[in-house]
Amino acid sequence: MKLLLVEDNERVARFVKKGLAEAGHTVDHADNGRDGMNHAVSEPYDAIVMDRMLPGGIDGLAIVAALRQQGNRVPILILSALDGVDERIHGLKSGGDDYLVKPFAFGELLARLDALLRRAQPQAVDTTLTLDDLSMDMLAHKVTRAGRPVALQPREFKLLGYLMRHANQVVTRTMLLENVWDYHFDPQTNVIDVHISKLRQKIDAGFGKPLLRTVRNAGYMLTDQP
Amino acid sequence: MRLPGFSARTIAIGYAFVTLLVLAMFASPLWYAWRTNIQEVRTELLASEAQRLGNLFRRGGPAALTTAIDSQVEGTNDGVRKIILLMAPNGAKLAGNLPAWPGGLPDRDGVSSATIRVDGVPRRIELVRVTLGRGYRLLIASNLNRFDELERLFVYGLLGCGAAVLVGAALGGVLIRRALLTRVQGISQTTAAIIEGKLSRRLAAPRDGDELQLLTRTVNRMLDQIEHLVTGVQDVSNAIAHDLRTPLSELRARLEELSVNRPNEEETFAEIDAAINDVDRVMKIFNALLRLAEIDSGSRRNGFVPVDVTNLAAEVAEFYAPVAELRNIALAFTPRGALRAVGDPVLLAQALGNLVENALKYAPEGGVIAIAVQRPQRDMLEIVVSDNGPGIAEDERPRVVERFYRGDTSRGTPGVGLGLSVVSAVARLHGGVLLLADNRPGLRATLQVAVSPAGGTQA
Repeated sequence: MKLLLVEDNERVARFVKKGLAEAGHTVDHADNGRDGMNHAVSEPYDAIVMDRMLPGGIDGLAIVAALRQQGNRVPILILSALDGVDERIHGLKSGGDDYLVKPFAFGELLARLDALLRRAQPQAVDTTLTLDDLSMDMLAHKVTRAGRPVALQPREFKLLGYLMRHANQVVTRTMLLENVWDYHFDPQTNVIDVHISKLRQKIDAGFGKPLLRTVRNAGYMLTDQP
Repeated sequence: MRLPGFSARTIAIGYAFVTLLVLAMFASPLWYAWRTNIQEVRTELLASEAQRLGNLFRRGGPAALTTAIDSQVEGTNDGVRKIILLMAPNGAKLAGNLPAWPGGLPDRDGVSSATIRVDGVPRRIELVRVTLGRGYRLLIASNLNRFDELERLFVYGLLGCGAAVLVGAALGGVLIRRALLTRVQGISQTTAAIIEGKLSRRLAAPRDGDELQLLTRTVNRMLDQIEHLVTGVQDVSNAIAHDLRTPLSELRARLEELSVNRPNEEETFAEIDAAINDVDRVMKIFNALLRLAEIDSGSRRNGFVPVDVTNLAAEVAEFYAPVAELRNIALAFTPRGALRAVGDPVLLAQALGNLVENALKYAPEGGVIAIAVQRPQRDMLEIVVSDNGPGIAEDERPRVVERFYRGDTSRGTPGVGLGLSVVSAVARLHGGVLLLADNRPGLRATLQVAVSPAGGTQA
């Protein structure tokens, strides 16, 4: 995938660029708003990682707004030191697709970016999600593994649905908290881990091949790959 | 300290001006009425005198009239009070107290006024000229000058009054100014002291209940709040320094050790992971602080929407249920119908989450946590979280909501000591308070939410 990184902090840029390259992406980098704007309009990218506060006279949100005005639908992940729900709302309203607050873990950035890239791909609206021998019927609200029904609570169903839609991608605890529960705070307890382990009990226990894995220092991944 | 006396002087001048204006407004109709009335009375008197003398002339002729006039003017100073002059047809004076018919009088009968010279002194008179028949002419005049004194008295009275008003106003101005200066000086001295850092100083409250007292009270309340905030900031700064120093020095030590010892790869990565955890801890503290600042600023009120609090509590209960289950704690929420309030669902969920996490932290193995949503008053909802843990001692309760305050019993447990501060701030934002009570045993935390945000206490 060809990505554009607009970030003025040299160290952060190097760190992100290296990480994205290791994940198999081609990365162009602009260190100010003007260059970022030029890159974004002159070349097709699969996604853009955009810092909010930039030198060069144009700030990140202005670039995002300008791109959207030109009808450019490229997925954009906004990076910002500006926390606060109002700031996030502002960022998303300007046309950003996701908003990540600095300082961030690279795993979080990569996971969110993968989610964005996946979402941008045209896909049929599946009523059934499948992964290996795990199958989820969205309409009937039924889950089966190797043909055997798995009984899930409504929230567990939603959790598994999110994981299945992002199969083979790392999903962070924050992403789960935001997308499955719509909570925007850090629980002090390991409550997400407990939910995951309950889900794991239901879908993996008694089956030879575990699908739900814990990714150290990042989150979880539902995968059928070894 | 030099203070401009301008405003006090302006007040005095204003008062004097207004008083003089009132005096003038009061005096001018009086003056007019008096003048008109006197004039009328005088004219009437002159006319009736002329009538009487005319009748006398008709009955007894010039001789009788001469005698009567002579007797009337005898003993009076000529021309001082009343002037009477009877002239023969040939122009000779028959009787009266004027030596001759004065010049410049109108040549017809009737009432008029004129200025004539009596003994060389010009006098304003009001006169009646009557032609009695056969060429006899009669002049009766009252000397207006005799009213001069009265008029002068009136004018002097008015002037005196005006002067008294001016003096009074000046005196009043001086007194007002002195009183104002005393009070303002008191205020500015206190304020100066506060600026210099003596935050506990307060304005002296005057005994009488005037507007200045009201102002003083308001200013003192403001100062209380400022002192509270400043002490809060100082406490928080100290606490931040303390709470951040621990993970930061651990982090530093860890990195330094890594760089000096250069252990094998596996150990290195373990240390790096630990270092990342340290950083995450620091970030958590910062996030919680930013959150608090955001809530305290009240800007989150923009995000207020109608919230089904019962539903929200049910979801939070469900969210934490697996954790409670794991620790063999009964987490119970029994919904009793939908209860709605206007608020920020994200913050309410976080606040309730903090309370439940707190309860989970302290409830004993096999303990009980109960969540309830109730509406004790028409305009107030309460979310109650009670546990049967050790509870919080009564004297400690007000302090646990302070930022970074951690009770001795919680020193060893994880957390940054901001959880209850956040709950308290969310309650304040929603026009309520966080109440902590004894659950005998355990803690009973009540988060109040005003049903409509207009009842909020925080702007």
